[in-house]
Amino acid sequence: MADHADTLAVEFRNIDKAFYGVKANDNVNFDLRRGEVHALLGENGAGKSTLCSILAGLYRPDAGEFIFEGTPATFKTPKDALAAGVGMVYQHFRLVSNLTVAENLALGHPKLSVHISQEQLEEEARQLGEEYGLPVDPKARIWQLSVGEQQRVEILKLLYRDAKVLILDEPTAVLTPQESQQLFKTMRQLAAEGRSVIFVSHKLYEVKQVSDRVTVLRDGKTVGGAETKDAEPRDLARMMVGRELDLPTRDPNPDIGEPMLIAEDLRVAGDRGLEAVKGVSFEVRRGEVLGICGVSGNGQRELAYGLTGLRIPSSGKVILDDEDITKKTVEQRIDRGIAYVPQSRLGMGLAPGLTTEENLALKAYRKPPFSNGPMLAPGVFKENGTKLIEQYDIRGVRPGLPIRLLSGGNLQKALLAREVELNPKALIARSPTRGLDVGATEAVRNLVLDERAKGTAVLLISEDLDELLALSDRVLVLYEGEVVGRMPAEEATPERLGLLMAGHRDEGAA
Amino acid sequence: MTTRRFIVEPRGLASTGLILAVPLLSVLLAVIVGAIFLALTGNSPGEVYVKMLDVSFGSSRGISETLISATPLILTGVAAAVAFKMLVWNIGAEGQFLMGAIFAAGMGIWLGDGSPAAVALPLVIIAGAIGGAFWASISAVPKVYLGTNEIITTLMLNFIALNFMNYLIFGSSSPWRDPLVPQFPSGRPIPDSGRIPEFFNRLDYGFIVACLLAILAWFLISKTRWGFEVRVVGDSANTARYAGIGVPQKILGVFLMSGAFAGLAGSLYVAGPVGALDPRSLDLGLGFTGIIVAALARLNPVAVIPVAILMGALNNAGPALQSIQVPAATVTMLQGAILIFAVAGEFFIRNRVRRPEKRLEALEEVSAA
Repeated sequence: MADHADTLAVEFRNIDKAFYGVKANDNVNFDLRRGEVHALLGENGAGKSTLCSILAGLYRPDAGEFIFEGTPATFKTPKDALAAGVGMVYQHFRLVSNLTVAENLALGHPKLSVHISQEQLEEEARQLGEEYGLPVDPKARIWQLSVGEQQRVEILKLLYRDAKVLILDEPTAVLTPQESQQLFKTMRQLAAEGRSVIFVSHKLYEVKQVSDRVTVLRDGKTVGGAETKDAEPRDLARMMVGRELDLPTRDPNPDIGEPMLIAEDLRVAGDRGLEAVKGVSFEVRRGEVLGICGVSGNGQRELAYGLTGLRIPSSGKVILDDEDITKKTVEQRIDRGIAYVPQSRLGMGLAPGLTTEENLALKAYRKPPFSNGPMLAPGVFKENGTKLIEQYDIRGVRPGLPIRLLSGGNLQKALLAREVELNPKALIARSPTRGLDVGATEAVRNLVLDERAKGTAVLLISEDLDELLALSDRVLVLYEGEVVGRMPAEEATPERLGLLMAGHRDEGAA
Repeated sequence: MTTRRFIVEPRGLASTGLILAVPLLSVLLAVIVGAIFLALTGNSPGEVYVKMLDVSFGSSRGISETLISATPLILTGVAAAVAFKMLVWNIGAEGQFLMGAIFAAGMGIWLGDGSPAAVALPLVIIAGAIGGAFWASISAVPKVYLGTNEIITTLMLNFIALNFMNYLIFGSSSPWRDPLVPQFPSGRPIPDSGRIPEFFNRLDYGFIVACLLAILAWFLISKTRWGFEVRVVGDSANTARYAGIGVPQKILGVFLMSGAFAGLAGSLYVAGPVGALDPRSLDLGLGFTGIIVAALARLNPVAVIPVAILMGALNNAGPALQSIQVPAATVTMLQGAILIFAVAGEFFIRNRVRRPEKRLEALEEVSAA
């Protein structure tokens, strides 16, 4: 790697780019060495995507210098950029879903012979995939592939064109931890070959794990850069957010009380009728956060459904505050103090077309003062809305407008505000900070920890190990619907959890 | 990189002015298109339009006839509006309307002359609501519990209801058929105790009842707890389930309510101006026109009232056009044109269209952000 280290692949000097007078990039400086993985870190809207899009030929800068492999250059279109060896994997993939993997690789390839046979194409795709640890069936049609596999196709597309600079825009947002690890290996391999990778992310631990250098953007400006090994995650976070930021983590809480939410040998069916939760038992105590981790699709959703009543368990028991609620309906469980933050905000937690006020009353509306008998009390809806919007700092609300227009962070704050306002006995939250930037993550984590401090039993179901380890008192690992490990947070390390999540049973697992 | 001439972006909330402007403009554009068509076929558009206005609004009798035509459209319009708003695609208002008419006429005939109007009239009207709801339930129950497609079932049941009515009058000697004129099949008149009194020329109180029912529908949806739950279900069934709202019951409720409103249109029509189960007066597609009314009213039950009056005026004007040698179908053409423009206008209510300011990329950035 040292051979390449002195040669810059890309250099941006004082780049400006404005949209409607709003500066998305303001005097940005950035350089990319050959053979490195360079992380581009910043909050949503910090200008990362704009910078990458300039490099990929999608936008042209308003001002500034762009030097590519030692000579000033301009890419007028993405085609120019690709011809020069720069390609980007966008967050929203650009694949033709009815074509096969091999066909997508061939599509628009500038140098491909017209006479290449389908078999030859597929063989090349297969080899390329094997070489780079990006296995994918070349005959499969794109729509048949998982999101992670589609991403591999996007990367293969660039490699098939022998791209020297690969830009990956938040690639891990759609991946499981295992898939992310595999991707990181591929990235390291690409760097070792002398290619350069720009890794856009706002997850500090990933940046720390995979990158050689890191550049931080905030409000369109470069606010810092460093060799990754010298960068403290704390400092990076501060640069990113622009203030001292302490992503909240729990303090050991001496006030853990009686068991509040208990699952006893719980079994819940999956969508196709097969058992998805296979005899899970645990108890969550007052003032405790129990974290449940596992690769997505190992029964987390069904477990949450079984606890909240969205699906009645086929056997076993759910006990809340000494009452058996196994057979109770969703409404009865809400009444008895179960709050639930589902994984999908707009798909389940909120009614996207209704107003923020209405959404904030979505659980309390049945009772006075929100309704008197069959009649609603619009005044109370409004009052409650105004109060919660203020109290929980929900921004961007305009009266009468549907809630779906709010940003992800504000949607999540609204959802949590509503659930927390129910004064629940137990709060079940699935991946509550997924897709949120650091500022919103902080707010959401604080809300969860406040609930814990109030003595609520919190069940945190998440795939984000950072979040789990920061908030949980105890951690339980779910694999194929069974508990394969449980331990106090102090004993949980990402490595140990990762092994359990992959199905390796722990010594002494319950 | 291609440059686009116009940029389309979603609008947050359209202003009230725009929401009013789109239907008004739709009517205006339909009038212009109609004028071109009339001119091309050798008629004088001015003369036709003046005639239409005169027939529908030019006299107290014209006005009362217009409102009579509007009355069933208000209710079939509300029937479509409440269902569509909840994504229940009940396009069976036609059949539910006819079934309401059959039930109402049956009730009136069964009660006979013996009962006082204070008893008979409410029973006749309610029988219509039950008839409509019953007909809707044939589609609603399988939809809710078995997942059948209500578009198909409601549509097909329209034909069954129509043929059933025809059978009652033309194909059998049922109690609905008038026995006094056996050689000329027609409906047996509903006794006076089951008829709605008139108050303005031929206009009866059914019009007032229809307006009140439209307001009631609006009230139920927007002011009650039930209505709130229904709106949540209509917006996202998943969210409703999550909030503990019984989704099947709500869909069933809305579907039956929609059917009941269409059935009420039938009962008010037979107990009002028609006075018997008369296929020639009932088979006018009033249920289908209700769908147009609902669409133009943007599924707002109260806005249905003025739109129904407009459509009623057009329906009313149709036959009169024949006196000046213009086909009555001109009216149908105008109604169709209004609907097309209103549906196209919906695009402008939902989206903003503007010229690009600088470059295409700018928009992409904004939408990506």
